[in-house]
Parts: sequence; structure tokens; C-alpha cells
Amino acid sequence: MAFVALSEAEKVYIVHGVQEDLRVDGRGCEDYRCVEVETDVVSNTSGSARVKLGHTDILVGVKAEMGTPKLEKPNEGYLEFFVDCSANATPEFEGRGGDDLGTEIANTLYRIFNNKSSVDLKSLCISPREHCWILYVDVLLLECGGNLFDAISIAVKAALFNTRIPRVRVLEDEEGLKDIELSDDPYDCIQLSVENVPCIVTLCKIGYRHVVDATLQEEACSLASLLVSVTSKGVVTCMRKVGKGSLDPESVFEMMETSKRVGKLLHTSLQSVLHKEESLGPKRQKVGFLG
Amino acid sequence: MLKSRTFLKKTRAGGVMKIVREHYLRDDIGCGASGCAACGSAHEGPVLEPQPLDRVSSLCPQPHYLLPDTNVLLHQIDVLEDPAIRNVIVLQTVLQEVRNRSAPVYKRIRDVTNNQEKHFYTFTNEHHRETYVEQLQGETSNDRNDRAIRVAAKWYNEHLKKMSAENQLRVIFITNDRKNKEKAIEEGIPAFTCEEYVKSLTANPELIDRLACLSEEGNEIDSGKIIFSEHLPLSKLQQGIKSGAYLQGTFRASRENYLEAIVWVHGDTEDNKEIILQGLKNLNRAIHEDIVAVELLPKNQWVAPSSVVLLDEGQNEDDMEKEEERECILKTAVSEKMLKPTGRVVGIIRRNWRPYCGMLSKSGIKESRRHLFTPADKRIPRIRIETRQASTLEGQRIIVAIDGWPRNSRYPNGHFVKNLGEVGDKETETEVLLLEHDVPHQPFSQAVLSLLPKMPWSITEKDMKNREDLRHLCVCSVDPPGCTDIDDALHCRELENGNLEVGVHIADVSYFIRPGNALDQESARRGTTVYLCEKRIDMVPELLSSNLCSLRSNVDRLAFSCIWEMNHNAEILKTRFTKSVINSKASLTYAEAQMRIDSSTMNDSITTSLRGLNKLAKILKKGRIENGALTLSSPEVRFHMDSETHDPIDLQTKELRETNSMVEEFMLLANISVAKKIHEEFSEHALLRKHPAPPPSNYEILVKAAKSKNLEIKTDTAKALADSLDRADSLTFPYLNTLLRILATRCMMQAVYFCSGMDTDFHHYGLASPIYTHFTSPIRRYADIIVHRLLAVAVGADCTYPELTDKHKLAELCKNLNFRHKMAQYAQRASVAFHTQLFFKSKGIVSEEAYILFVRKNALVVLIPKYGLEGTVFFEEKDKPKPRLTYDDEIPSLKIEDTVFHIFDKVKVKIMLDSSNLQHQKIRMSLVEPQIPGISVPTDTSNMDISEPETKKKKLQK
Repeated sequence: MAFVALSEAEKVYIVHGVQEDLRVDGRGCEDYRCVEVETDVVSNTSGSARVKLGHTDILVGVKAEMGTPKLEKPNEGYLEFFVDCSANATPEFEGRGGDDLGTEIANTLYRIFNNKSSVDLKSLCISPREHCWILYVDVLLLECGGNLFDAISIAVKAALFNTRIPRVRVLEDEEGLKDIELSDDPYDCIQLSVENVPCIVTLCKIGYRHVVDATLQEEACSLASLLVSVTSKGVVTCMRKVGKGSLDPESVFEMMETSKRVGKLLHTSLQSVLHKEESLGPKRQKVGFLG
Repeated sequence: MLKSRTFLKKTRAGGVMKIVREHYLRDDIGCGASGCAACGSAHEGPVLEPQPLDRVSSLCPQPHYLLPDTNVLLHQIDVLEDPAIRNVIVLQTVLQEVRNRSAPVYKRIRDVTNNQEKHFYTFTNEHHRETYVEQLQGETSNDRNDRAIRVAAKWYNEHLKKMSAENQLRVIFITNDRKNKEKAIEEGIPAFTCEEYVKSLTANPELIDRLACLSEEGNEIDSGKIIFSEHLPLSKLQQGIKSGAYLQGTFRASRENYLEAIVWVHGDTEDNKEIILQGLKNLNRAIHEDIVAVELLPKNQWVAPSSVVLLDEGQNEDDMEKEEERECILKTAVSEKMLKPTGRVVGIIRRNWRPYCGMLSKSGIKESRRHLFTPADKRIPRIRIETRQASTLEGQRIIVAIDGWPRNSRYPNGHFVKNLGEVGDKETETEVLLLEHDVPHQPFSQAVLSLLPKMPWSITEKDMKNREDLRHLCVCSVDPPGCTDIDDALHCRELENGNLEVGVHIADVSYFIRPGNALDQESARRGTTVYLCEKRIDMVPELLSSNLCSLRSNVDRLAFSCIWEMNHNAEILKTRFTKSVINSKASLTYAEAQMRIDSSTMNDSITTSLRGLNKLAKILKKGRIENGALTLSSPEVRFHMDSETHDPIDLQTKELRETNSMVEEFMLLANISVAKKIHEEFSEHALLRKHPAPPPSNYEILVKAAKSKNLEIKTDTAKALADSLDRADSLTFPYLNTLLRILATRCMMQAVYFCSGMDTDFHHYGLASPIYTHFTSPIRRYADIIVHRLLAVAVGADCTYPELTDKHKLAELCKNLNFRHKMAQYAQRASVAFHTQLFFKSKGIVSEEAYILFVRKNALVVLIPKYGLEGTVFFEEKDKPKPRLTYDDEIPSLKIEDTVFHIFDKVKVKIMLDSSNLQHQKIRMSLVEPQIPGISVPTDTSNMDISEPETKKKKLQK
């Protein structure tokens, strides 16, 4: 991960500030930085989103491709995650430098989506055991400014919301042979329900308190943090501890409560932004990378 | 302004791909009308006329332009091509749709738009800022295109209104889609159906005939009963073919029997290669050459190919009971063994319709506008057309195109395209046979002619680069009399070391025809020059074929030379190839050359050169024959034409002189040398020619025939065959050898062009050469041009280009060349046959000696040496009692009543022209000697009407 050089005094300053619910950039402990979301930024994907969270910049593209369902889940489609850490983000990612982090993030994403409720995988099935949609979710890290996991989860949710999967019909003849037919109306497509797609809320333990959406500097002061994936209804679907330090059960419980509270808020504001954007229709002026 | 267009596409692997294309809109696209101030200066000059007043339409008296939609373009292209239709706006949307749906129509519309006279304007509405439309939610791409067309039509009307207040120009939208028309009128666009509009053109009533009649889906069901079962949709067919339920193949109708056809199954399945289809319902509206899907019938319904000749004679009506009756005739009792896989057509994969030549069979009902059209090709069903000019078209050769074949119709529907002229007229018949053999014979297009060198042309300094100056050599050409496209010339001289230098100089056509340009494409398409009896259809424009490329005497010409150093035993010591400049000293005919060689008084350099060549040629020929090259024979005839009427007045078999074989020998040598060289240089993509050895079964007939005359023909190798043919001589029957050689020719396979990288067997059987190609006639064969290019690259005289070294492209080219050569041959034969008919028409009925060439079950095929004419003597005729016929397959012989006919027997036949069928006039032969009562005709019937008295006589005898 990106590296910041912090002197001992600076660290003390940050820790003490958090103690007083006053962070270096002026936020409170449960405040997120300003999040910018734009969907449909890459035209040749099925769905895409770009999220800027402070200096963290994430681009997610979703590509729908046809494939065969997994043996153990014959009537479901599935998602594949791939995280690419661009060397633009930080020089440490050069060469194979970002691979470890990429795999780690991808694995986390697999874990938070590995349940029945997050995405309706059955709707991705075209014909059981034979055809299903596979959603390739490609995450590109453009810039690292702390709190990667949260930003990525927001971007993935936005991209899935934006995803349009072409509607196909399976034609079957008398012999039971199947053929796929594609509609010639580009608007004739299915949209995924992202109602239950969780977002990750990362809580960094700094001193005796914890903060959400830590900047790089704050992350450097934290010994342990907790990744909690929360749905819009406040259900915790997955939890993971990162960092060298340890957390006592009481603070874990406290942090979960915070995450539920913050997560719900995050979901509502994200949802409203996404719906607002969609209601503008194709006439919306795109900002893209020029904004 | 930038827009992006997004669409989904199914990939071959079954996946779905999203494709995004950038699409720019501009506002500087001109409307194409001259005098339009708003877009007057935009790009190309105006194409539409400012005052399009030539058409007077009762529907729209003001001057107007037409704007047809896609379906009108697709189906009514014949109308649009008519010179009366001008000032038409073709939208880009329409053009693209046409391109996707029918390549031939697209090509035709491109030709029309390129024609300045027609004033067709292509409007790029998809890139115009005001006429571009985006596909809306819930709109199919078809609806979107229809809307785009309407938007463009509306825009045009408003745009023109601005431009010409006093002119009152309008744009009329032509569509056959009822809904689309309604919508257009709602939006205030003047719209008519194609039929309405064409009928309103009171000045051009003949256009109505060219309208394609399209029955609308709606009223198809209720009119008349349904005869045919429905064709399955393409997707179903493809699934069926994949699963093996249906078979895909080419539909080939039978010439003799309109109720029977064969489907050649594609792919390499061993069994069920050929499937028989019998009966109208099973043929299910397939037409000759269509690609169809066939379903096999259960084994108990299999049939054997019937040997009955059935012609579709029913007049107008859809008399199905009668048909069924006729179908019963086909089902003759046959043994189990004869049964062949039988099937029925379930769907059409691709139609291969083309315009057909033929004649109108006028309907019996007076004032009826529907008539049947009988194509010249018997494999094509009769076509129902609608015309008001039936009486003028009667007795004329016409062209008709098929529009469709509804399920309730006995015949396909079509429309009149063109009148070729009177039947039997020489020009008309030539046109017919060119069309029927698919010989491209239109005059060369402007694009092709523009690539010709400007006259006066001369060799420049630049041309001399990489070229040897051989103008000092004593080169001469030897050709048949009257030849204007001289592509070869020869020379021979003694070198200082005592050896001989022989040169073959071939016209350097590849210098003028550069790869890839229009001229090259056109010659590649034509493939070969076609020689008819009195006409030559050139492969390259005349300026090249008869002037610049032709190696005429006493002018400097560019050549490609193949030069050998030989010793006096004709052994090649050195071979070299070079581009050169020559100056032929004499163009001789075969006879003139022969005279020079024979006359001892002439000793000039040309004559000595010829003598040297002749001497070497003899040695070469001997060597070749020792190697097993075949000398075959076919009766070739030449017509003597009347210089005024161009009617044939006499026939003459072609004469062969020593000089013929002299030229031939050196051409063969040059071809072989070049073949070796290009194959050495380009082992993967040399264009070669091979002649496969025929399978032994082909020779059966020849061996049997020889045996009946107590001669033995060995066919193990070419050498054995050549030797045994040489030995097969009979003192009492000198013509026998020629007959055997004619038979041997019939046993041979077709020689074909191929690409060396795609084949392993290069052998040329007839010439007994391990490798062969065509190098010596680039003016009249396209293969030679490619060989020239390959050789030029090999010797470093020219540079290569990508297509030349692409073996798949080359293989494709070979396929076309082989097809064109075959068709050229057929056209040539048809032309000879037509002139033979003309000859006998003028000559009346004659009796001639003939030899039996083949014995068939119910007929004898005879050859009349005097005319080189082959014909069939039938013994079974309609409305006559059948004679007793016994056929013996072992010794080919036929016993008629009590007389036995063997192969090679000498008979006497009467020849006359049978014009009972105007469309298919033919030479009819009947037996005169030996006399068989009731069968043969008396010798002195020359002035009698043939058919009538004969039948009477027959009745008496019975």
C-alpha cells in the first residue's frame, strides 16, 4: 500500500485529534470525505462507474459474457473479480508490485459477494447447466488516497447498478437442441437489482477511538482496522480484521454498531445519487475524466 | 458533433459482444440538387437535375425527385434501372440495408448511381446533423431505419421548399409498406407505393411490365388453395442441419423430367451424396442451383430415378389432379437395388435466382395479362409474368426475373426485364447463349477503359529498364489466318559455338494490366476470351488485344521471352527468361510458313529460322510421344461464312499442317520450362495446370469398342494407351483409328488450374509432363497473366504484391478460371451447334454417311465425318408404336427388330432441321441405311414433309 512518511509528532497530533473527535482535515470520526460517483463512463463495457473518494480514484468496469454455470450451482451465474493496481497510483505498484494487494482486494470482494442475498445470481442463469452470464468485474486503482476498500465497494455497487445485460432467448427445437437468440433492440436488457449489494465500511482503530474513511496519514497511525460489509438495511454480511494490532471484543462490538449506522447512511445517499443520475437518461452530459 | 453508436453482436463461438463505434455528424452535406443555394458549394457537384420534368406523373404533376425505401430498391431494381426513371435520392440507410440483404442488387444500384445520365444521388443521411436519428427504447432497428428514411424525406421536402419557391420541387417517398406510407402521409410527406407511382407515369406504360409482383402476406392465404408446404425458417434449418435431421445441398433440376431433381449434398459424407426428389410437392418450389435443406424420406418411400422424359406442358392452370396423375407415371416398378435415397425440400437456404432467357407462351385467353414464360434452360420451371405487350413479345427472346413463389401458386411469379430480339436471329441467339453460359460480355466500363495507355503509345526509356533489347533478332509469328491477337512469336539462330538459340516471345500483357486495378479485376472476372463462330468476346479491351499487346510485324512490342540454348538434338543446355523488346519481322499464317519451309528457293533469314524450328520441333515431338503423350482427336470444323450475310455456306474440317505442331511444340516447351521455374521459386503459390489421369472405369467403353473390332487397347499408363492407339489400325477401315481417338478423348478428365500449395498431384496426363502451366497466351487467358507476374518476380523484373503470394486467394482465382473456361467451351459448342443449324436450314434435308459412335438403350449416337457433326438417332418417338429393341451392354450393340447395330458400324442418315420447338431448334437425324421396315426412312424424301406421311405409313404396316 501507498506509503506516507509521518514523524512521531505528527502521529501524536493525529491520535490526539481523533480523541477529541476532530480530525486533521476537520471531519468528525464518523464523517466520510466527499464522494464523487459517475456511472456509464466506459462505453464498451456492460456497466461502469468511477468513484473518487478524496484522493482515492477507482474505475470499475463490468463485462457480461456468456459461459457455462459452475457444476455445484447449475442454475446460477457468477461474478469474477479482478483488481488491477495501476502504477499511476503509486510507484510501489510498478511491475508486479501491486499484485499482492490486488489479490487481497479481489479475495475480499469474493467474500462479501459469497452469499445468496447480495446479488440475485439466479437471474444470471440463461439455461440451467448450459448457459449463464458471467460478470467480470474489473477494478482499476487510479490513485490511492486511503480507504481503498470502501471506495472500491461503492464503485462496484455503482457499476453493477449501471450494468445492462442483453436479454437473450433460448430457442429449443424438437430434438432438444438449444440456440441462443439475441434481441435487436439495444434497450431490451435486464438490470440487476443492487438493493442488497453491501458496501464495505472500514473502521480504523486510532488510539481509543475508531474513525471511518481514514486518510493515508490516519491509516499510518492505526495498528488495526475492521472491514465490515453492510447492506442498505444495516445487515452485516462479512467482517474482516486487518493490521498488526489486536482488538478487544468490546471495541469490535462498538465498531460494528458504528459501521451499521454509517453504512445505512452511505447506502441511502449512494442510492439516491444513482437514481438521480439514471433519471437523466441518455441525454445526460457526461463528465468522464475531464471533470 | 460526435455520437457513438452501440450495438450487440453474436459471435461465432456463441458469445455476445458489445460493439461501440464512433459516429460523427456534420452539417456540410449537400442535398445534391443543382441550384440549391444552401448546399451549392458542398463537396461534389450537384447530381439531381434542377428541373426534373421528363417524367409526367398523373399523381404528381409538379417536378419532383423520388426517394425509395429499402424494399422498393430490393425488389423493383429492374424498374429503377429503366432509363425513364431519373432523379432519385438513394439514402445511405437504404443503401446499407440493401448491402446487407442482397449483394447483387447492391452492385446494380451502385452501377446505376455511377451512371451520370440517371441522376441518382446518394444522400449520407446517417451523418447529416438534421437527419440522423437514434434508436429509441422499444424500437426495432427496422422501425428505426423506416423512421430515419421518413425523417430524411421530410427534411428534403422542407429543404427544397426553402430553395425554390417558384420551382415547387417536391420529394416523393416511394414505399410498398402500407403502415410506413400511412405514417409518412401523417407527417406530411407525399408518399405513394411503387405500383401507384409507376402506373401514374402515363408516358411510360411499358414500365408496368417490369414491376415485380409481390403478393402481400395478407391476401396470400385466402386466394386459392395451398399447394406447397411451408418453408422452414433459416434458424430451424440450421439447427436441423447441425443435428443431422436435414441435409444441405445444391438443388439440380433434371433436364428431362420437370418432376424430378437431384440434390448434391455438401460436405464429405460418404453415403447419401445424391438425393432424389420426385413430385412437385417434394420439390417444394426449389429452383435449379438453389441451396436447399432436404429431409430424407423413410426407406419405404424411396424411388429410383425414372427414365421417363416429361415436359411441363400444362397451360395456365393449377391443375393439381392432373399433376398427381403424372407423378404416378414416375413410380414404375423397380427392383430394390435401384432405389436411391429420396427426400423432400423443407426449406431454402439461399436462392440462386438470376434473370432467365426464354420465350413467352401466350395465354389462350384473350386480353389476359398473365402469361407463362418458358425459359430456354429446361431445368428452370415456367414463370408467370404479367404484361400488356404479350403480342409484341411473342416470338421474341426475352429475359424474365423471378420475384417469388407463393405457396398457392403452381408457378413462380416474375416480371419482364428485357427484350433481346427475334428468335432465330443471329444477334439474339448469340446474346442468349452468352447469357445462358454466364459469359461476361458487356462492353468494358469507363473505369476499365480509363486505365488503358493513351494513344499514340510508344516504348519509353523507362520501360527499357530490366528489359533486354531483342529487336535485332529475326523473330516471326505463325498463326491461323485472320488472327489479330498474336500473343506468341518465335526465333531460332545458330550461335558461334554451333549450338542453336531458340526464343519464344510472349506478349507482355502484365506490363499493361497492373495488379488490383479495375482493368485487372475485370479481366480476372472474365478469365478468358471466348471465341464464337463469328464473334470474339475479348478478355481485355481491344486496344490491348489487337494492337498494343499483339506482336504484329514491323513494330516494336514489349514481350516476355523464354530463350533456350539447344544442341542439334534438341536437348536444352541453358534456359533463361527475360522481359524484352522485340520487332517481329513477319506475321505468317500456318500455310505461308509451311510454304516457306517447303520451297527450296527461299533462303532468307526468316525461312532458315523457321526450318531450324521445324527440325527441332520434330525431335521434341518424337521425344514427347515416346514419353507417352497422347495424340487425341476431335472432329473440328470451321464454317465458311458468306461475307455479306454472315451465314455459314460451307463446313470444313480443320486442316493440320506441320507448322501447327511446330508452334504447338515450342509453346508446350515454354509452358513446361516456366512451370518448373515458378514452382522452383514459389513452391507454395505457383499457378499450375494439371490433367488428372482418368479412373480405369472411364476407359471401359473404349476397350469394349476396340474389342468388338478385334483390337486391344491397353489403358494402364498413358504410354500404353498411346502405343496401343497407334497400333490400332485396320486396313479395310482407315477411319477407325480416328474414331478410336475420338472415343479416347471422351474418356479423359478436364484439365484444371490449381495452386501448387493446395495440391500434391501436379501431373499432366495428356502431355505426359510432370508439371505444366499456361504462359503463352496472356492476351486471351487470365491464368497466363498471373504466371507472367510470378515469373517476372522470379527473374527480378517486377515486384510482387500481397495477393500474388496468398494461396487461398489464388485457389479462389483458379476456381473462377476453371469455371469460366468450362463455360467458354460450352458457349463455343453452343455457337457451333447454332451455326450448324443455320447451315442445314439453308441446305435443306441431306443424307450422309455416318459412323456409330455410341450405342444407347433406345438410340444411336452417330458421327458424320464430313461435317464433324454428332447426332442422335432415336428409335422411340411419341405417338408411335415402339419397335422391338434389344440392348447388349457387353459388346455395345442394339438389335432393332432384326438388324443388329454395333459400335463403329457405318450407316447412312438423313439430316434435317427440326423447328417444331421454336425455342430449341435442333438437328434431327433418322436412319436411311441399313433399311429396317417401319424404322428407316426412304432416301428420296428430300422434298416431303417429314412427320406427316411417316405416321400414316406406320399405321398401314401395323
